[in-house]
Amino acid sequence: MLRQSLPLLAAISLPLVANATDNNTLTVYTHPSFAADWGPGPGVKEAFEQQCGCSLDYVVLESGGDILQRLRLEGQSTDADVVLGLDTGTMETARQTGLLAPHDIKLDALDLPVDWQDSLFVPYDWGYFAFVYDTEELPDPPKSLEELVNAPNDLQVIIQDPRTSTPGLGLLLWMKAVYGDRAGEKWQALSDNILTTTKSWSDGYFSLFMNGEAPMILSYSTSPAYHMAIDKTDRYQAAEFEEGHYLQVEVAAMVEPSDQKDLAGEFLRFILTPDFQRHIPLKNVMYPAIDLGDELPDVFARLIQPDATLFIDPARVAERRKAWLDEWLNAMIP
Amino acid sequence: MRHSPFGYTQAPFSHPAWQIGPGLTIACGLIALTVTGVAALLWQAHLPEVSELWRNRYLNNVIRFTVWQATVSTALSLLLGLFIALALVRQPRFPGRRLLLRVMELSLVLPTIVAVSGLVAVYGRHGWLTAIVEQWTTVRWNLYGLNGIVLAHVFFNAPLAGRILLQALESVPAPRRRIASQLGLKGRWLWRTLDWPAVRRVLPGVAALVFTLCFTSFAIVMTLGGGPASTTLEVAIYQSLRFEFDFGRAALLAVVQLLICGALWFLMVRRSLSANLSPAREFPESIPRPDSQGVRRLQDVALLLCFSLFLLLPLAAVLFRGLPGLATVAINGGQPLNEMTEATLRSFAIALPAGAFSVFSGLLVLSMSSRGGGHLSRLSSVATAVPLMVPPIVLGTALFLLLRPSLGNSYDGLALVALINGVMALPFVTQLMRGPLNNLDKSTVRQADQLGLRGWYRWRWLHWPRLKRPLALAMAYGTGLSLGDFGVIALFGTPGQPTIPVLLYQQLGSYRMDLAAGTALWLVCLLLLVFAAFSLPGYRRNHRNLAGNVFKALAEGRHA
Amino acid sequence: MLEVKGLTFRYPETETIWRFTFGVDHGECIAINGPSGSGKSTLLNLLAGFLTPESGTIRWENRLLNELPPWERPVTSLFQEHNLFEHLDVQTNIGLGIHPGLKLTRTQKEAISHGLVSVGMTGFERRMPGDLSGGQRQRVALLRALLRDQPILLLDEPLTGLDAEARTQLRALLLRHKAAGKVLVLASHDQEDRKILADKLLNL
Repeated sequence: MLRQSLPLLAAISLPLVANATDNNTLTVYTHPSFAADWGPGPGVKEAFEQQCGCSLDYVVLESGGDILQRLRLEGQSTDADVVLGLDTGTMETARQTGLLAPHDIKLDALDLPVDWQDSLFVPYDWGYFAFVYDTEELPDPPKSLEELVNAPNDLQVIIQDPRTSTPGLGLLLWMKAVYGDRAGEKWQALSDNILTTTKSWSDGYFSLFMNGEAPMILSYSTSPAYHMAIDKTDRYQAAEFEEGHYLQVEVAAMVEPSDQKDLAGEFLRFILTPDFQRHIPLKNVMYPAIDLGDELPDVFARLIQPDATLFIDPARVAERRKAWLDEWLNAMIP
Repeated sequence: MRHSPFGYTQAPFSHPAWQIGPGLTIACGLIALTVTGVAALLWQAHLPEVSELWRNRYLNNVIRFTVWQATVSTALSLLLGLFIALALVRQPRFPGRRLLLRVMELSLVLPTIVAVSGLVAVYGRHGWLTAIVEQWTTVRWNLYGLNGIVLAHVFFNAPLAGRILLQALESVPAPRRRIASQLGLKGRWLWRTLDWPAVRRVLPGVAALVFTLCFTSFAIVMTLGGGPASTTLEVAIYQSLRFEFDFGRAALLAVVQLLICGALWFLMVRRSLSANLSPAREFPESIPRPDSQGVRRLQDVALLLCFSLFLLLPLAAVLFRGLPGLATVAINGGQPLNEMTEATLRSFAIALPAGAFSVFSGLLVLSMSSRGGGHLSRLSSVATAVPLMVPPIVLGTALFLLLRPSLGNSYDGLALVALINGVMALPFVTQLMRGPLNNLDKSTVRQADQLGLRGWYRWRWLHWPRLKRPLALAMAYGTGLSLGDFGVIALFGTPGQPTIPVLLYQQLGSYRMDLAAGTALWLVCLLLLVFAAFSLPGYRRNHRNLAGNVFKALAEGRHA
Repeated sequence: MLEVKGLTFRYPETETIWRFTFGVDHGECIAINGPSGSGKSTLLNLLAGFLTPESGTIRWENRLLNELPPWERPVTSLFQEHNLFEHLDVQTNIGLGIHPGLKLTRTQKEAISHGLVSVGMTGFERRMPGDLSGGQRQRVALLRALLRDQPILLLDEPLTGLDAEARTQLRALLLRHKAAGKVLVLASHDQEDRKILADKLLNL
């Protein structure tokens, strides 16, 4: 018994003393769903370490916002070589810190619904925001954002707060992209149908949606892929809206103060190879950033294919976000 | 050891510096940490526009709503807690009393996401209870809004209040209880002679504690609040810091929060100290109360049953939901089981030191307050409450700014996490230990002074035997709070190795809903285990005391 | 020689001022006489250092005691009741009087057992105060006071409320103690106590 638990104890106590970062280690700041054992992190680590003859360490922070926060706080003394897990909502703020270094990677292989040319950020996956619904509770979901906004009160949905969560901000931008200046009044119309606004996606999905509190929740168009492929159930589907869906792109970037720029560059290039991307679809439950061909799981063919991709330039989002949040707050607080 | 002219033995650590020094250091450290924390944020940012506070309609609403929901939640939690404590005092032989006490202790340390999931399953739109109520009555219950916020806050805090009030009620000296029993006092007079004097000593402290908890509540208010109209100050702080990187505004709001809670705490503490004069000897014997019979007994039992259901149903929901996932892990074993085991060990490796640290530093601070005068005592009360008033994200960011140069890498963070968890548990821990530590009666103190039982010796012979039970409970709270912590550990960044709550969030992030439900259940089991384990030593002692007290009652009766 | 000169004391927010002056020598017992509320207990508490006088001096062998804290004074108090730590057994209660850290030599431990035998409480070492009768508790308390071996014994109604047998036994113990040269300061309502024990009288 003791002998069995010894390695375990060592595994716990070792990290507390191991301190030195040898010069062949790439440190990547990321968020939990990437680095989790079910996430793409472990597979990516193994594949990259084989290729580079180095070691890859993840530092796991609570969310994309925290990665950025940590980077800002650490400034020039940061340990990070690469940040992975920022998205279209946070990347402009990250750009303004001046702590990120340009890459020299050809982005031709990218397979995104929008044209992507950026000197700092390399996309590693993408997806659409969408409302996921329970087919058993809601056989006939709304067919458009407009229909949802005008739905009778007995249709209740769960959303996340744009002040604290990424999909929450996504919906705010989605409404803005569709309704422009009329977004405020549309939010007012929608407010009757909102059961509640949770702090994070996890709170809403786990505590409320999976408990059957509401038949519909703001999530990603790719969420059903997991339920279909792993849970083997078709019960949860994404509702396709006529106006189109808002795009989220998750990105990585090299850190300017890094002393491992060559390795960091190699990693960014590695992101756009199948060895990295094959872990994305079912482990991050998002679309891969390059065309994976046959390797893309079959269930992805059964996901909704929005007619239009809605996307507001991140620079404009960064500039207007505060005003849009105020507009939302004013619409929602009577 | 020094010998005086009259040959007395100097006790170790009995120099006044030892009585006050360490506690004062910790108390000042806590306050300094807060001040430097807020200052560090301000230093990183421009000075905020203070007038924004009253000009901005949104902020105005936020502050008003925060105060309002906290007031309602506190009032209801205290009221329910008081009724429960009184019923428990009246019915010492209520079957399942011990279990109820454990569950009451547990509810406070439940991680929000677990508790909310359980509450929703029972009281939600499609909850068990809602279904029953709506089928049999015409009542239409809506969880989302102030209803849900208050319900959840009462779920978390009424048991805490009840637990502390019960401790106070049980400390009423036996002679006084005997007299009340003999005179057959009932109703208002029993309340005025026995219960109110006991409750009055702790009520202000409990009220301040519960109010602060509700005031700073975050995820609950958002999830059950229904929409952005239900926003606490803490949300606004989080938003400024995490999304807008507006350190100045975050600091300003943090100061507002500190001022409101701090002022309240200070007022409460002043009152509770002026009332804290009646010494209490420990007489845990059970003396039948005139009001514990008949209809009253039925009422009490009914109340206790309802309260048990109120606490147990959500836990039962967590159990039902998590059982399949946990069973799968246990039966299939392999990778998930290993992870669960490792995460469990890792969680305990953080939580046990955190609990020990918080109990230890709590003792130091409290012993300072018992030796020193009123100022030191007030300082200790407010300082230990500070960790509750400072938003963890502000504290975390500030600590990060302060400690960054000395932090080797994120692995060192784990020790820091234990430390911060310990600090966060201080308000609860000190609340539990304050009474037993400071309520030595006069004759005991005089004896001890004359015999030179000071410093270490006083601790060894006077405090330790009396404190074992509250200390164990405090240790359980400290450990439990750290065990369920997600906020602090996520703030400091963890290496790929998760603790149980981090594992839970990782599973959620990867859509492993069944597994996550299993992990949530496992976490509840661990918390229950912690409270059960730490209540064991006290239980045995209690039994012996009970036997001893029967004799004592007989002996005292002889010459009474 | 215990000398008290012009010792005054007043409870906050009251008018009454107490003044005490007297002296007691080795092997003497002074009885303090007076009705309830005349300040008997106050005087004993002043001597023990539990209260601080407004003015005046307390001297023992010409050393000033006023500034010493209770634990440094050469006195032991015995009250009418509540003399024992309720949560500690008899042996510990006595032992703490000998060394506050309970670091006892073998001889000291034996002294405790012998002492218990001598007051008719053989084998009571591990009993809790709660299990004892009033007389037994007082015997334990006195035993502690004697074993503590301080030259001044402050007795505040030590025998009140005990049965005749206990009183006789405790008086004998006190007399033996006095004969050994200790100073006894006794506050008692009881005529017989005063008659048997006291050499001097202080009327308040």
